[in-house]
Amino acid sequence: MSDGYEILTLDEVETAEHGGSNLIPVRYLLGFRPAGVNAWIADAGGQLIPPHEEDSGDEELYVVVRGRASFVVGEETQDAPAGSLIFVPPLVHRTATAEEDGTIVFVVGATVGEAFDGGGWDTFAVAYTLQRTGRMDESRAVMEKAMADRPHSWELPYNLACLEALGGRPDQAIASLRRALEINQEEIYDYLREDSDLDNIRDDPRFQELLK
Amino acid sequence: MNLAHIDDITGIELADGFVWRPVRRHFGIKAFGVNAYTPGASGQIVEEHTEGQLEHEEIYLVLRGRVKFTIDGNEHELGQGQLVCVRDTSLKRAGVALTDDAAVLAVGGKPGEAFEVSAWETWFAAAPLAAAKKWDEVIALYNEALAERPNHAALLYNLACMEAQAGKTDDALAHLQRAVELQPEFAESAANDEDFASIRDDPRFPH
Repeated sequence: MSDGYEILTLDEVETAEHGGSNLIPVRYLLGFRPAGVNAWIADAGGQLIPPHEEDSGDEELYVVVRGRASFVVGEETQDAPAGSLIFVPPLVHRTATAEEDGTIVFVVGATVGEAFDGGGWDTFAVAYTLQRTGRMDESRAVMEKAMADRPHSWELPYNLACLEALGGRPDQAIASLRRALEINQEEIYDYLREDSDLDNIRDDPRFQELLK
Repeated sequence: MNLAHIDDITGIELADGFVWRPVRRHFGIKAFGVNAYTPGASGQIVEEHTEGQLEHEEIYLVLRGRVKFTIDGNEHELGQGQLVCVRDTSLKRAGVALTDDAAVLAVGGKPGEAFEVSAWETWFAAAPLAAAKKWDEVIALYNEALAERPNHAALLYNLACMEAQAGKTDDALAHLQRAVELQPEFAESAANDEDFASIRDDPRFPH
């Protein structure tokens, strides 16, 4: 194989937890840039797609790769065996449950008329899963690499701060929050006041200083 | 619910022997490129090509059966739930079905740019209509694509090819002239293109 291409076997990938579902982080692993591409895997009765709407404006196409799923789109429920393709416009509520063990759904998403700029929620899902399972060094490495690729994102250093706070490393958490505030001064404060991920450092005088 | 099974999306068998299932067109998706392929008479499932012109990064995901991909000269046999992501646009890629039931999903786009419908979708869609000489339907397909992208030189050139064969000389010459204005290299292509045999002697034919 050369550097110019890569092969991935969906059911061999280490999954990440997101919204109560098991994410196969395809975009994160491949660094695919034209559109959001990911997959979800679940056994019979398990939640495949976390219930959500695409507030960001993404059109999404779900593809049942293996097994069988039950899709709920808007008010409608439909059986979707392998080979089914389901198109969902941005603001319609959707979720799916596996009807057979090992069911895999692949999904492609992007916004009409906009260049895709990925590397948010799915990267966070990978990093938070690593943190929760005690692999903070790997979690930090995931976030550091993403920050190098997307230096304009305040969400990345902000979430790294959350991860460091959860892991009991207040110095690193404060430093990462300062980094986020250098990129964005507007939206962060609402999060800072409310985010329970930061409770470990809330009483730290340096945190109080940042809130001013 | 907007649900379709891959076998329900009417396939169009192209000259290379692969069958194009126009997923994006079927659903009217405008945010990204997505299509499916099944094998035709020759067993080909992904035509041999590079993405040198469109510069699309691509993913080919096997939905069913087994497929032998040849990427940059290396062969890889992939089954259901396996994918190949081709980042380097210059690499030659192709796929041959190893089982009759094989199906591949393809996703692609140019990094850093909003998706635009590829012009090849129009020639693929028009191919069976052109073979059946249903020129009015062919021309309608091209006009539909040109309504979105009126200055796409290759679309205008190919429309002119169709109009020349349909005996619509004035339209063919007007569209060919416009294509050459936008992209002068098309004058050279036109000089050797047998589709233009009927209009080449017209004094308006671009040189």
